Amino acid sequence: MAAVGSAVGLGNVWRFPYICYENGGGAFLIPYFVALFTAGIPLMILELSVGHWARGSPPDAFKKIGKKWEWAGWWTVLIPFVVAAYYTVVMSWCFSYMIYSIDIRWGIQAEQFFLKSFLGITSNPTIIGGFRLPVLLGLIAVWLCVFLILYKGVKRIGKVVALTVPIPTILLIILTIRGLTLPGAMEGISYYLTPNFTRLLDVNVWIAAYAQVFFSLSLAQGIMITYASFLRKKSDITNNAFIIALADAGTSFLAGFTVFSVVGYLAMSQGIGINDLGIGGPNLTFITYPTAISLLPFAASFFGIIFYIALLTFGIDSAFSMIEPITDSINKKWKITKAKATGIICLLGFISSLIFTTGSGLHWLDLLDHFIANFGLVIIGLVECIILGWMFHLYRLREHANKTSEIKLGRWWDFLIKYAIPSVLIILLLVAIVDNLLHPYNGYPWWVILMGGVTPCVIIFLLSLLLMKIKGKEEKI
Amino acid sequence: MILSPSAIVMLIFGCVVLYGGLVYFLYRALKSKEKSKP
Repeated sequence: MAAVGSAVGLGNVWRFPYICYENGGGAFLIPYFVALFTAGIPLMILELSVGHWARGSPPDAFKKIGKKWEWAGWWTVLIPFVVAAYYTVVMSWCFSYMIYSIDIRWGIQAEQFFLKSFLGITSNPTIIGGFRLPVLLGLIAVWLCVFLILYKGVKRIGKVVALTVPIPTILLIILTIRGLTLPGAMEGISYYLTPNFTRLLDVNVWIAAYAQVFFSLSLAQGIMITYASFLRKKSDITNNAFIIALADAGTSFLAGFTVFSVVGYLAMSQGIGINDLGIGGPNLTFITYPTAISLLPFAASFFGIIFYIALLTFGIDSAFSMIEPITDSINKKWKITKAKATGIICLLGFISSLIFTTGSGLHWLDLLDHFIANFGLVIIGLVECIILGWMFHLYRLREHANKTSEIKLGRWWDFLIKYAIPSVLIILLLVAIVDNLLHPYNGYPWWVILMGGVTPCVIIFLLSLLLMKIKGKEEKI
Repeated sequence: MILSPSAIVMLIFGCVVLYGGLVYFLYRALKSKEKSKP
């Protein structure tokens, strides 16, 4: 249940719709499904098997595979920590919107309200702008919440997610129904579902699909390895992997209906085409959901408050799943108490998040998300496949999964991990790197891209090597 | 506006595979949980 809570989060209701919109709607769904079944589910089985077999934190698990691979474990736990830095900011937006729902403060101009009044967005990332107080206060509340839930350990998570998974799903269904009954909704749904086969030749659509699957399923982030280490010995690994992956993708698919029905309504009400709306990017869902809420026939404020509480609860599961692997790893390596490790990490996370609470925050958030997801996660996914597939006896993990699972994995799984997934990821990465070099992301200056996108990825890698080198408490003895 | 045939195919595929699959694997999990009860 905790793993489902981690996988189902803002990645589904916030990130999936805007990535889908940016990549051509229906054109994105085919690569998304291909990525889900060819990489998402096999890698989910792989990570659950590693965690269940090694019974330790990701660095411990990789160390068990080979002492020299410990850095890969640290790399996987540092990535979600960086993701948490901006993920919590999105949650703080939800927090503010929960309060704004009381009087539907965005009115009929949801886009203008979000970008101008709420974020005070600057014209480009080089103009930092001041701190936005509502975002900052929301951020403090979110990090405090994460700390309070986590400092006593993973057992508390199970109790929290028993509530935080089903409630938001029900509310999402209510908003979807409202969205589908709006005039113009079918135009949006048609855009969402109709595949545009010419876009399938665009490698950026494919890498965005793989990145979305990795991001959303919490893969290549040490999260599934950590959770699997807490699973009962007889837990059915393969069945669990399918449940987590399908629950996650099902939530994304549903959120797509909510957002695109409102997108269709917005396009119709402005008398323009969906492609001409120009509301893509991380802000898309903060325009469409508020619009859907304000158009509810009755009790809009009530549903608004409940919906943003739901989004917060969706997000909180994922937020603490991003922090848990690194605190668990620190706790196990240096024997620092869980409360202390959680406190240090939450404080560092909060400080790292501050840049996203400024007027330029949305620009930096978009940039970091693009590089961390499209390159950071995909590269780690590739590294995992290479280490576990080529530097280790992969059949041992397959046999381990088969021991506890009713559905038996065959050699096809080995083939996917060893050959198919790495080949696809290498090709996609190379083409995407060349494409990003030729066309800088969003036309940002090179130094901005280096600072906001490339540098965090490089620092994480170097830090993972450093953390491996620093001796743990047991090693010192 | 009526959805195009390719959009309807995508809709059916998504619903059957994702939600049908989820129900199936949840059913399997519940069944094996019942079996393991003493």
